Amino acid sequence: MIEALSFFATSWFDPYLLILTALGTFAGVYIGAIPGLSVTMAASILISFTFKWDVNEALALIAGVYVGGVYGGARTAILLNIPGAPSAIATAIDGYPLAQKGLAGEAIGLSTVMSVMGGLIGVLALELAAPLIAEFAIKFTSRDYMLLGIIGILLVGTLSGESFAKGAFAGALGIMIGMIGLDPMTAESRFTFGSINLMGGVPFVVAMIGFFGVAEALVQLEHVSTTPIKQKVARIIPAWRDVYRYLALGLKSSGLGTVIGALPGTGGDIAALLAYDQAKRSTKDPEVPFGEGAKEGLIAPETANNAAVGGAFVPMLTLGIPGDAVTAIIIGALYIHGLKPGPLLLTDTPHLFWFIVGNLTLANLFLLVFGLTGIRIFTKVVECPRAILIPMIVVLSAVGAYAIQNNPVHITWALAFGVIGYFLKRYGFQVGPIILGVILGPMIDANYRRAMIGAQENVGKFLYDLASHPISLVLTCALVFMLVTQLPFIKGIKR
Amino acid sequence: MKSPDTLRPGERAFALLLVCFAGYAFWESYAISGFKGLTTGGVMPMLASGVMVATGLVILGGSLRKAAPLQSGLQGIVAYLFPLRVVLFTLLLTVYVAAIPSAGFLLSSGVLLFVAVWWLWRKGPLWALLISFVSIGVIHVLFRVVFQVVLPMGSWWR
Repeated sequence: MIEALSFFATSWFDPYLLILTALGTFAGVYIGAIPGLSVTMAASILISFTFKWDVNEALALIAGVYVGGVYGGARTAILLNIPGAPSAIATAIDGYPLAQKGLAGEAIGLSTVMSVMGGLIGVLALELAAPLIAEFAIKFTSRDYMLLGIIGILLVGTLSGESFAKGAFAGALGIMIGMIGLDPMTAESRFTFGSINLMGGVPFVVAMIGFFGVAEALVQLEHVSTTPIKQKVARIIPAWRDVYRYLALGLKSSGLGTVIGALPGTGGDIAALLAYDQAKRSTKDPEVPFGEGAKEGLIAPETANNAAVGGAFVPMLTLGIPGDAVTAIIIGALYIHGLKPGPLLLTDTPHLFWFIVGNLTLANLFLLVFGLTGIRIFTKVVECPRAILIPMIVVLSAVGAYAIQNNPVHITWALAFGVIGYFLKRYGFQVGPIILGVILGPMIDANYRRAMIGAQENVGKFLYDLASHPISLVLTCALVFMLVTQLPFIKGIKR
Repeated sequence: MKSPDTLRPGERAFALLLVCFAGYAFWESYAISGFKGLTTGGVMPMLASGVMVATGLVILGGSLRKAAPLQSGLQGIVAYLFPLRVVLFTLLLTVYVAAIPSAGFLLSSGVLLFVAVWWLWRKGPLWALLISFVSIGVIHVLFRVVFQVVLPMGSWWR
């Protein structure tokens, strides 16, 4: 217990880690707030620079950016009616009308306090649930990991995209990209076309930078001339009677946000929308109707999206399945540092788990400080035109892609992935499943082959193994259920 | 997110392109190790590309059932998919990537920032120059000094 506490407090008493966490949270608030910049984009670029650092330092910075970024989107949603991040879409519905009534400061203050509360509850859930899940997950075999990987990709594809087919296509494309290079088991060339550059495979960070950074920059070109409407900001510190009054709603939304965040494929955006919907249904007599500046409509999504951060770490650390796009990138960061997220992470490297828990707690406390201060400078910074941001994103993406292996070819690849990502996004494909496919593809491949070798290359025995072991059976049923519910006639019945 | 009821311009052609690409990917996957065994290096690529073919056909089928877009034809596709700004910016990026090995990262990035900011922001060349200078300075200090990334120098300066 004392040992766990000392790991928990690592970043609290190390001045360098403390500064990195503060810096990450501060930067995250601005990254999340500036329309056109996203936490996913920032995290993918940051990994390419921090992979030579100590793992704690890299995680301190990225976790800070994550926590700050999820919150930051709310500020522009309230002030400009432009959600800085998808998780702040619901916040704008009531946040902006509050700002129009001259209550922007109060709305920001309240959303900050509630976001911190949600964030801390999410971290508490991570601390309590992760060890229990990990203890159970130690019993997982190769075929279970294969099934988990497939379920993770399909969940992201199903929940975040326009259609299941598009999500599955994107996930399979990601697996294909992840297969490029020499087969680690037989050294056979896969999709290398005789190119030496392709033999080492495609670093997933390069794919991430291309699909999230460059593609988003190209999509954003459409909105390059959008000018935001400015709001006046008065008092920021919220009235404590308001905090007390909405405490029950905050707790309820935090619980919902944590659970939604913990489901692979969902994230702060879905958590926020569901919490908003739930608040709207359960609030009988709001002071102001929803959509016209109801404080309940501001608090519920803001608490839920920050609670989802802690929730998203649960499947990532215990099963190696990311809860959302950012945790998919953090998985990448752990792999780069030679760590393998999964049930053994908690037993082999408990210091890392407790460090993450402590660091997320610290980042939430920094969020309270940064959220309630510096609003005047903030309003100036978020007005930075997209015309400057877009070329900057491209330059940062280029240096990020290059820095991974000091290879200029990777800049070309990132650009190519960016163009492909642009076309896919224009036709309603999500790029999240592609990245997840690139990261999880090799894991699925290796575990499938191990499981098949275990079944002596006998399809009948392989299928029997899937159906005769309890964990495999549950996962197989979950996978089959996911596939069956996507069939057109089942969807018709559901409607 | 629900799929819109009408097609986006070029959506059907794009779906067809995806099916063709998936078919090619399957062929390439088969070429890795054929059907020699169930644990060879080509099995997972074949499964993945097989899923791509199947889902690609579903997407194509779905696009055939949807109503045609308001802006159809080549003109509609160009307006939707290739707005001038995107085409020119992509060309600028291509030149930028091609220039890095000879001109180096800092000079190429500086020129890219100057041209792009001047063109997109329309506040005049002086503002664009100032912004690109400051940005390149910050990038140099941040990445070269703080993160210690060895940025490509360029063959012209060796």
